[in-house]
Formats: sequence, C-alpha cells, structure tokens
Amino acid sequence: MLLQVKNLNFAYGDVQALWDINLEVGKGEVVALVGSNGAGKSTLLKNISGLLRPRKGSQIIFDGEDITNTTADVRVRKGIALVPEGRQLFAGLTIRENLMMGAFTRSDVKAIQEDLERIFALFPILEERQAQLAGTLSGGEQQMCAIARGLMSNPKLLMIDELSLGLAPVVVDRLMETIQTIHDNGVTVFLVEQDVQAAFQMSERGYVLETGHLVHSGNSRDLMEDEAIKKAYLGI
Amino acid sequence: MASRLLKQWNQSKETLFSQSAQRRIWLPVGIVFLLGAIAFPFIGTGYWIRVLTSAFMYVGLASSLNIIMGYTGYTDFGNVVFFGVGAYTTGVLVGQFNFPLPLAVLCGALLCSLYAALLGLPLLRLRGHYFSIATIGVMDATREIVTNMKITGGGMGMSFPIFDISPQMFNMLAYYIMLGLAALYVLASFLIRRSRFGFGLRAIRADEQAAGISGIPTTRFKVTAWMISAFMTGTLGGVFGLWFSFVEPSDVFDIMISLKFMIMVLIGGAGTVFGPVIGAFFMEIVSELVWGRFLELHMGILAIIVILTVIFVPKGILHYVQNRIGLKGILAEMRQNKI
Repeated sequence: MLLQVKNLNFAYGDVQALWDINLEVGKGEVVALVGSNGAGKSTLLKNISGLLRPRKGSQIIFDGEDITNTTADVRVRKGIALVPEGRQLFAGLTIRENLMMGAFTRSDVKAIQEDLERIFALFPILEERQAQLAGTLSGGEQQMCAIARGLMSNPKLLMIDELSLGLAPVVVDRLMETIQTIHDNGVTVFLVEQDVQAAFQMSERGYVLETGHLVHSGNSRDLMEDEAIKKAYLGI
Repeated sequence: MASRLLKQWNQSKETLFSQSAQRRIWLPVGIVFLLGAIAFPFIGTGYWIRVLTSAFMYVGLASSLNIIMGYTGYTDFGNVVFFGVGAYTTGVLVGQFNFPLPLAVLCGALLCSLYAALLGLPLLRLRGHYFSIATIGVMDATREIVTNMKITGGGMGMSFPIFDISPQMFNMLAYYIMLGLAALYVLASFLIRRSRFGFGLRAIRADEQAAGISGIPTTRFKVTAWMISAFMTGTLGGVFGLWFSFVEPSDVFDIMISLKFMIMVLIGGAGTVFGPVIGAFFMEIVSELVWGRFLELHMGILAIIVILTVIFVPKGILHYVQNRIGLKGILAEMRQNKI
C-alpha cells in the first residue's frame, strides 16, 4: 500500500468533520473519492497533505512510513503532491515560476529540467505561455498549470481536488485523458470529485464520503451500479 | 553541501527564469550614489550631514521592514519594537556593564532576533489584519514593560555615555556608520530576494496555502524572515541610541515611527529591493522641506501623502519608473481599479 489512512478523526474546533476514516491507495492505482458539498472531501485531502492536523489516535502511513506528525513540506519531499481545490496558483507569478515553485523541494537541477520538458510535452499550451502570468489563464489552463505544478515535485502520489470545478465538460474530458497518461507513466492518482460519473469512469476503486463518514467503498464499476449511489448522486 | 545546492538552484534559476535586462542599470546607479554619499561630508554642512544620517537610518529600517512586509506579505505595524529593544539593550550594556560598543549593538540585535522568534511562533500563525493588530499590541506591551523597569531608567528615559571626541568627528562617524549599515542591508535585501529563501517568501506572500503544498516550510520561513528583519532593525536602534545619546520609551516605541517606515516602503514599492530606499529618501527630503514650515499640520500632510499614494501609485513609485508608466498609464490603471 502506498497510502494508508487509519481511524482518522478531524474537527474544526468543536465541529467534527471527519469520523473514523479508513482508506487505502495502492501503488499504481487510480482511486476516486466522491461526495457532495460539505462531505469533508477537501478536509480529508488537507489532512493527508499536512495542511490540517487530525485528532489524536489518527494515523497516516505513506510508503510504509508513519507521517502523521510531519509538516506539509516534509510530505511533499516524501512524494505527496496536492492539486488544491480552486487551483490556488500564484496568480502574480508567471507559469514558469509557478512550475518552478512546484519543484521547490528539489535540487537535482538536471532532473528538474527534464521533468519540465516532459510536462511541457504533456501540456504544450503551458510551454507556449510560460512567460505569461498565471492569473491571466483560462480556467482549464489554470487547472493544467496546477496539475503541472503538482507534478514538478516528482510525486509518487498525486491528489487532485475537484478537477472539474467550474470547467466545461469537454475540458474535463480532456483533462481526464491527461491524467490517464500521467497514471500510465507510473504516478498513483487519488481523485476527489463531485462529478461522480467522471470519477468512477476514470478510477479502479472508489470511496463515497457522506457528512464525514465513509459510507461505501469498492470497485468503481460496482459502485456505479449500486442503487443507493445511483439515486443519491447520479440522479438516475 | 547546502551552499552548493543553493548555487545550483541559482544557476538553474538563471537559465529557467528570464531576467530582465533593465535591472542591470541599478548597479552603476547604486555605485555612483554610494560614492557621492561617501564624499558628501567633505563638502556638505553639518545640518545636512545629520539629515542624511537620519535618511540612511530610515533606508535601513525600511529595507528591514520590507523583508517581512514586502517579501513575506505580513504587514507589521510594530516593527519599531525591535528598534526600541535594540536601543535600550545597547544603552544598558554600554552604560551599566561597560560592553564595547560594537558588541553591545550586536547583543541588542541578537536579543531582537530572539524576541522575534519567540513572538513569531504564535503571532505568525495569524494572517492579515489579525497579525498587524497583534504587532501593535506587542509594541504597546513592550513599551509598558520598559517604562516600568528600573534598569532602563523607566519613564525618565536613559542617557548614553558621552564620547570624548569633537562633535564634528562624532557626526561624521555616525554618518558613516549609518551609511555603511544602510548599504549593507540593501545588499542583504537584494541577496535575500534573489535566493531560494526569498523565492519561498514571495510564494508565501502570493498564497500561503499553495506555498505549503509546494513544499515550502512556511512557519520556519516566516519566523526566519522576521528574525532577520528584527536583527537589522535592532542594530539600527542601537546605533541610533548611541548617536542621539538619549532615548525614552515614548520616543522609540512610537507607532508613528513604525508608520513612517511603513509609508516609506509603500511609497517606494513593497517587495522590491530599491523601493524602500527611494521611499525613505523621498519621505526624509519631503519632511525636511515641508515639516519645518507646517509644524501644526505635518500629520495631516503625511496622511494626504498616504492617500495620494494609495490612489495614484498603489504599487509604489519604483514600479512606475521601472516600467516607464506615464500619467496615461496611471490613469488607465485607476480606471481599472475603479477609482
């Protein structure tokens, strides 16, 4: 297992947002986490990436190492990259600078250069506009830039929060294809989505989060067939 | 090892980032200016030597505030607290423990750094206005403590030892020390901005959460930035005390001084290396030419300058000079900002 979350509890002050979360992401998998607004999806990702601290007794294990008490920057070094909800690019910096920021923890100049070229091959539009300020990009391009920034840390696990947020379906489809390519190149992907259909089509396994509890888990295809999920999320 | 990595990083940055050529003009301009400043005491009058000494002090103070406020994006209304702590520590060490002067100033600055570290760990978790308000609180609290301590002379203030040299020599010495410190701190500011550390600070200013997930140890960087800022401000406080030879709590823990170097940073251009320098000189020259004539109104004039800055040149003078933005551009920008 690449990532194991065990008994994770988290509260914003007195308001508990996550209850006894147990989930696993295996090496080379694409795993989806779906849930409606306010279910706690982003909160869970922030816990995994170290931006928020879970309650005592929670455990996060990455690549065989307990990282529960480490800070966010240490987790980036260990290979966890987060593409945050709403992109959170450095709007006042150029695209190139944004990407270099993604490589902040690295010092292997040659490998950074190679990764940059590989990423530009993946997103040619970013190479074209590398000197442009990130804030001037369209929504889809910003999402590309955010994914590319995540990849620049050379992660083992890429976590993507709400890829589809505010994007046209055709753009989402194209981005999903790119993520498939990234996955084919050996990066494990943890996808957090409100767009249940897109998420389950893309992934092998899935989890369903509801008001802070994991209520379903299993094979993505089975989950899509599940009557309760169909009713709640797909409107069928 | 670490320095080698940093070097590699800088090299990679030079190939990976396009460096604008117009930055290069600063080097010759700076050297000419520095040579002029070194020669000035031989031709200038005593009055203007004192004015410039104080201008250099403000260049140093604005540059050090710029590190936490401009680069890191944490608006610190109370940075003057380090000025006061530096001055008082130097005074106590020199006056009562007979420390050699440079050592006393250094100890004062180190104490400031320590103070910033202790305060920074809780305070730098606050963001935006909350941090700014907290810094005002720290300044007020520190002033009260100093006012009520015996060793500092309390509310009566503290006199520094008088040196056995002629006033002319003394003023020259103060002038060159302030000039040296100002030059050193502008250089430090330049180096920090270019470094990997400075790159991280800029990221924190742009978006702290995004900086965190990019692997920047945000808390450590912020606290370090504040410690550097405190150290620089502290040395200037110590030298100021020796130069003025008297300090009292309401003088050195005064929010107006803090505001003054904040306004300098804003007018010149926060987050740039030379913006605070320009701002400091602009303000000091304006104050020399204007204040004396409008003693009653000078606070009002200061406020008008702040308002005009925010409306017309919100990014600081330097931005408009560097990018050759004229009146037309300024008006266009104002329309864009819906003023």
